[in-house]
Amino acid sequence: MRACFLILATLAPPAAAVEYNRDVRPILSDRCFACHGPDSGNRKAGLRLDQETSAKAELRKKYPIKAGDPELSEVYRRIVSDSKALRMPPAYAGHDRLSAKEINVIRQWIEQGAPYQQHWSFIPPQRPEAPVVRDKAWVRNPIDAFVLARLEKEGLTPSREADKATLLRRVSLDLTGLPPAPAEAEAFLKDTSPEAYTAAVDRLLASPRYAERMAIRWLEAARYSDTNGYQSDGVRDMWRWRDWVIEAFDRNMPFDRFTIEQLAGDLLPNPTLSQRIATGFHRNHRTSAEGGIIDEEFRVDYVADRVETTSTVWMGLTFGCVRCHDHKYDPLPQKDYYRLFAFFNNVPEKGFVYNFGNEPPYIKAPTAEQQVRLSEYDARLKLAADRWKSMAGKLASAQKKWEARAGTVDWAPERGLEFAHKLANRTFDGKRNIDVGADVAKFNHRDPLTLAARVKPQSAKGAILTRAEDYWEGTGYGLYVVDGKLRFHFIFRWTDLGMRVETRQPLKLGEWQHVAVTYDGSMLAKGTHLYIDGKEVEMNVLFDQHLWPIDHKAPLRIGAGAGLGFEGEVDEVRIYNRALPPREVAVLGADKSDAQAQADKLRLAFLERHLPPDLKAARDAMEKAQAERDRYYATIPTVMVMEDGAPRETFVLKRGAYDAPGEKVTAATPQSLPGWKADWPANRLGLANWLVSRGHPLTARVTVNRFWQMLFGTGIVKTVDDFGAQGEWPMHAELLDWLAVELMDSGWDVKRLLRTIVTSATYRQESKVTPDRLQRDPENRLLARGPRLRLSHEMIRDQALAVSGLLVEGVGGPSVKPYQPPGLWNELAGGKEYEADTGPGLYRRGLYTYWRRTIAPPSMINFDSPTRETCFVREGRTNTPLQALNLMNDVTYLEAARKLAERMMREGGSTDAERLRHGFRTLLVREPAARETAVLGKALAGFRKSFAADRAAAEKLLTQGASPRDAAADPVELAAYASVASLLLNLDEAITKE
Amino acid sequence: MMTRRLFFSRTATGLGIPALASLLEGEGPQPHFAPKAKRIIYLFQSGGPSQMDLYDYKPKLMEYQGTDLPESIRMGQRLTGMSATQSKFPVVPSKFQFARHGESGAWMSELLPHTAKMADQLTFIKSMHTEAINHDPAVTFFLTGSQIAGRPSMGSWLAYGLGSESKDLPAFVVMISPGQGGGGQPLYDRLWGSGFLPTRYSGVKFRSIGDPVLYLSNPDGFSRDNRRQYLDALGELNQMKLDEFGDPEISTRISQYEMAFRMQTSVPELTDLSRESAATFESYGPDARKPGTFAYNCLLARRLAERGVRFIQLFHRDWDHHGKLPEGLPKRCKETDQPCAALIRDLKQRGMLDDTLVVWGGEFGRTVYCQGRLTEGDYGRDHHPRCFTVWLAGGGVKPGISLGETDDYCYNVVRDPVHVHDLQATILHFAGIDHTRLTYRYMGRYFRLTDVHGKLVKEIVA
Repeated sequence: MRACFLILATLAPPAAAVEYNRDVRPILSDRCFACHGPDSGNRKAGLRLDQETSAKAELRKKYPIKAGDPELSEVYRRIVSDSKALRMPPAYAGHDRLSAKEINVIRQWIEQGAPYQQHWSFIPPQRPEAPVVRDKAWVRNPIDAFVLARLEKEGLTPSREADKATLLRRVSLDLTGLPPAPAEAEAFLKDTSPEAYTAAVDRLLASPRYAERMAIRWLEAARYSDTNGYQSDGVRDMWRWRDWVIEAFDRNMPFDRFTIEQLAGDLLPNPTLSQRIATGFHRNHRTSAEGGIIDEEFRVDYVADRVETTSTVWMGLTFGCVRCHDHKYDPLPQKDYYRLFAFFNNVPEKGFVYNFGNEPPYIKAPTAEQQVRLSEYDARLKLAADRWKSMAGKLASAQKKWEARAGTVDWAPERGLEFAHKLANRTFDGKRNIDVGADVAKFNHRDPLTLAARVKPQSAKGAILTRAEDYWEGTGYGLYVVDGKLRFHFIFRWTDLGMRVETRQPLKLGEWQHVAVTYDGSMLAKGTHLYIDGKEVEMNVLFDQHLWPIDHKAPLRIGAGAGLGFEGEVDEVRIYNRALPPREVAVLGADKSDAQAQADKLRLAFLERHLPPDLKAARDAMEKAQAERDRYYATIPTVMVMEDGAPRETFVLKRGAYDAPGEKVTAATPQSLPGWKADWPANRLGLANWLVSRGHPLTARVTVNRFWQMLFGTGIVKTVDDFGAQGEWPMHAELLDWLAVELMDSGWDVKRLLRTIVTSATYRQESKVTPDRLQRDPENRLLARGPRLRLSHEMIRDQALAVSGLLVEGVGGPSVKPYQPPGLWNELAGGKEYEADTGPGLYRRGLYTYWRRTIAPPSMINFDSPTRETCFVREGRTNTPLQALNLMNDVTYLEAARKLAERMMREGGSTDAERLRHGFRTLLVREPAARETAVLGKALAGFRKSFAADRAAAEKLLTQGASPRDAAADPVELAAYASVASLLLNLDEAITKE
Repeated sequence: MMTRRLFFSRTATGLGIPALASLLEGEGPQPHFAPKAKRIIYLFQSGGPSQMDLYDYKPKLMEYQGTDLPESIRMGQRLTGMSATQSKFPVVPSKFQFARHGESGAWMSELLPHTAKMADQLTFIKSMHTEAINHDPAVTFFLTGSQIAGRPSMGSWLAYGLGSESKDLPAFVVMISPGQGGGGQPLYDRLWGSGFLPTRYSGVKFRSIGDPVLYLSNPDGFSRDNRRQYLDALGELNQMKLDEFGDPEISTRISQYEMAFRMQTSVPELTDLSRESAATFESYGPDARKPGTFAYNCLLARRLAERGVRFIQLFHRDWDHHGKLPEGLPKRCKETDQPCAALIRDLKQRGMLDDTLVVWGGEFGRTVYCQGRLTEGDYGRDHHPRCFTVWLAGGGVKPGISLGETDDYCYNVVRDPVHVHDLQATILHFAGIDHTRLTYRYMGRYFRLTDVHGKLVKEIVA
């Protein structure tokens, strides 16, 4: 494993002078700092080598490092010692000795006076001068000067420019994730003007496909998913946040704005809906709904995830290490972790989340189209309401007239009445009860309800009205008397999923009282109200955790439930399928002395029963408009967002454990990073401002480095997620700084940066490799050739859909479910099996594919997709037989092959050669060589022969996929062409950007 | 030519460097010392089997029956949200009878008559303890060494450290069986995932529905002859590309397609049980003929072991008996007892037990107190991380012993505690790996399965 670093080491220029940052720190960090570095908890012998003063100070009559004199430097004496007992790093702890080369570097450095430098990535970047090169003609922009200068130093020359077809396919895949359409390719190949290439680049950058391509890597970094992750892995809705990301890339939102809105959009002055949706970034982390988990343990994990994701994505720092102890390599004390933690610690959220949808805080997030429709509903409602209001005078006089006639009124609210019972025998002795049956009042966890009755309890414990299993902890809802107080339970599982509330004051035993509970379906105690005699009373919340969908067979019963009976009298039972507002409860329960309630009763009775026709029509119209609006509103998606609730205190957590608080801390940025301005608020907005401030040393570098990785396969700093002491020294340090400053100076213009990179001569090089160059630079870090990389997981499929004509384009929207082998969900998790979409959902781009975190889409994982359980910014590329099987046998690619074959036969021409050429060019853009056509022709002939001999086999092969087959095509021909098309899709070149 | 390392071979780009480096050096991964076990079969019992109803005999519990668990035993131990709000924690003894078995005199409950016959082959660790109290973090911890998602699984570490023995099967295979009628706690891909290691080290799931390996079969209507012809043409075209571009990734791709072709026969051959003897089926029990059962997977595990697959992991679900334990536990035992015993016997008869390590166990134990309603004949037990039992057999294990001891309440370990990281270190040791030296550098540090912990459980090493 160390071999790789040695290879790179050989690439480093043979330096005349050793440089601490480039040459020395990597050795000290990797081999010494774990015991003699920043981690105060694990420091050995009181020696610290990461700080100059400590390393050069006298320690026990010796000098760890004596500037200029290796032989007097204990560090040097120890690393060269032949004694196993003395040598460092210690052999007894299983460490190898330093290599001769490493020892030499240390020696040279001490001889030079052992100068220390601040870690390079902690110093804000300055724009370096582009170096002077010999081959000036090759340089198209400063990127090339940096790259070429290095090549010239290494004695290498750049490769020639790739041919036009290769270049167009490369840049199309890089900027839009899709190959060029044949017509685009045709036009480009014909265009001989010098601006042809840059014009193509501009066209690609302006395409909405660009935004989709950029979005998917961001989704992976942001651990976006359609489910919660962890064991129970319930569903969530975050796709409106994904829409936001796509739109932001499409509009080329400056990266600083992009950062601020996602980290702190809610804290901006008068935040827009869009800015609030943006904050979904930090609600994308996994959440757990596993029964029995300890709420705070998981809540702390969520906040920690935000800290670590933020530090990886914007700073390239491995803050995960600092959760439990001081960093072993970087100057990041554990306290820094919790100071960052404090920024994210004020979200009013739970650790134990709802398993069937979004967890608060969330907001309604209508799309632009939905906003228009909603405003139409609102307008219609307003019109109807205004009309109703305009009739107020008429209403008043009609009511007066009616009241004069009506005299006393016996009326109770009827709307939403589910069940009403006046009891013939009102007396319950603790044994008798009334079983109303299991089909009545079957309210589930999200259904609003009202339970009301008049009671005269004789005992301090009993069940008034229940639909619950008949033991104390049983599932279901019920209204009880417990300890003399009125109680409401709604239970899924007694111990951890349910709600229990009670009145503060007891009921009066032996007296008639009216009791009621209303519940609004929110699954929260705060959506629940208790009433006595029509007046809302104060309540104690005994337990308050959301519910799960309830399914039990217990009947609705009066005077029994939860293992209890009732002693006393019950009457006037009324159950509603809505939460009555307080004034309606008063109508039910208040006595005659309550004038307001009496007036309301009259008014409501009149409105419900006795309105004259014209008034009734107006009222009905208003209510219909309200109902329609409500129904539409309910269909509008929600998205989880960030919000700061009541501030929580933050403590350093010892060993990272949620239940081991140490020193109290407040929100602040890491001590060793510069740039915090005192006038920024100490909240997420301040943090975001700091991250994108000109003085921040990391954000721009880390960001351009990820873009570089996206285009060249490897970052300028290969460790895209670690810019600390253990991270790689940048291969082209000045180029990295130049790009970082370029990004900032351009106003964080991402499209402009990408344009600069892809129009460079460096990017345009051919990607062929000679054995000599492969040996010299196997990973192409010096960039003496263009990138040649296997396509990313989603691109492989997107391309197949595009060239076969199956791709359904359209930006944004909910996730879709393309094909997936049956049974995958069930075998791991039981429950509902994956159901693939029918129609367009099968053919959308990969970034819209439904993502279940614990059982991710297998073909995407096969091709190295991150699992999206945590933030992941590396791009991995493996090469396995499972990928071969996937591309040869997955219905996705078989269907694409059939459709590509139809295209070849329909559009290609009349001869095999023409048709093969068409398929080849549609996929690979370039012309096939004659010998390639010959191989394909031979294969086609073989397949044709085989299918002609077995037409049934041809028919079977053509059944793959849901799209209809071209009825005009001869099945034998089509099957033969489909086989060749599959072969094309499996070519190394097809799944490679070259 | 295929070297043994080349299955799921290398990457030329990105950060999965080890295989590339070793290609250039011409040397594959090697064990640190001579392995005792050439292969490992891990019979993971997901959900947390109840130790005091199966292996950890606690006669004193009869005396304590129904009494509240004393604070002197619980010592402030945190409980899950499922029982933390209980007002009482009544002790409930096992309702199953225990007896001693074999020359070693191992205690086992009546639910395990077949395993009991193999008692002298087994080594029990009754003093296992873990850190997590809920399934997801606990299983993740057991199989990846960390409660936090994203670390490589045990099998991935072994595949990374030792490569593959087989030239046409993966190094790490996973098979899953549900509890019949129930199902049980969900499992997740991460449990056999490669974490930050390159994805080629992931466990390959052998499935009982559809293709045993995803996308293995040619589509209907496309014959093996067609496929051969197809691969010949594909290989020829890829070779032209290789000649022109010189990218070694292309030559790997050519090999991988040939490997895929070989898998199309090697996997069906593997899963074809038609040549297994009637005696074998009898030994593993009637379920062995039903794909997707634990018994079937055990038989397949032996066949995988014979073919050199290095790490074979079975998951049997539904051991999570919060309630109705007397009803649920016997069912799980019926599904697993006979096949476990048969597997050990089978390996022994074939002379493979000496170099095959078999491990049985779940992610944590269960509480001595009753969760939920305690009624006549019925009880449930909550999750318990402080003590539980695993057993090992074969490859390098000292057979017929029992390590560690728990208190009379089966609540705390009182002698020879074995932490999860210790067991992981020991399993790696049997495979010839020093757990402190099998590392991978990611995000600036060298990660390993045992984090910075773990010590070899020397007492069980033969």
